Amino acid sequence: MADLVEIERLIAEALPGAEVEVLDETGSGDHLRAIVRAPQFEGRSRIDQHRMVRAAVQSRMDDGSIHALSISAEPLR
Amino acid sequence: MAANPELKQQVDELLRENKVLLFMKGTPEMPRCGFSMRVVGVLEQLGVEYGAVDVLPLLDPLREVTGEISDWRTFPQLYVNGELVGGCDIVEEMLETGELSELVGVEQPETVQPPPQPQPTDPQQSPPLKLG
Repeated sequence: MADLVEIERLIAEALPGAEVEVLDETGSGDHLRAIVRAPQFEGRSRIDQHRMVRAAVQSRMDDGSIHALSISAEPLR
Repeated sequence: MAANPELKQQVDELLRENKVLLFMKGTPEMPRCGFSMRVVGVLEQLGVEYGAVDVLPLLDPLREVTGEISDWRTFPQLYVNGELVGGCDIVEEMLETGELSELVGVEQPETVQPPPQPQPTDPQQSPPLKLG
């Protein structure tokens, strides 16, 4: 089970200036959706945008806190 | 752990031979994961020819291979022209915007079906069951 506030903080620290919201999709605390609008996404492919979000929380995927992470990403202009 | 070189070579060959290639849990006829099922649904709506690989028999070795090839370790994964396009979220977004039709070279369907409800209880990923 992941700490949603911590996950939000990890993403926000990796992507300064981003708007980040993390939702628990199933109530089980390990299937999460991250909604991220970040200036760093501008000009990057969708898969790259997702890679950037995923990299920010990789430690919490590796330790099993997050089992599944859906991502909604868009550039913040 | 490094990827098995023989398996990696096989995957590279599949990527060269299949313009549209889906790595999924289960088969298009019998998906074993809700996310894989949704990507199959997108491809069927587009009517595009695609190859599908069931990753379940070689799940961990294939994670290593795709990790090295495209820095992505979760499935499903859709590749077009040898490049990773994305998983379920990206594929569904790109269906809606028409980007995916353009990428694979087919006409955008006139009506795009909304995706089925997510099925978070993937049999491979259910949270631990508690007794007592």
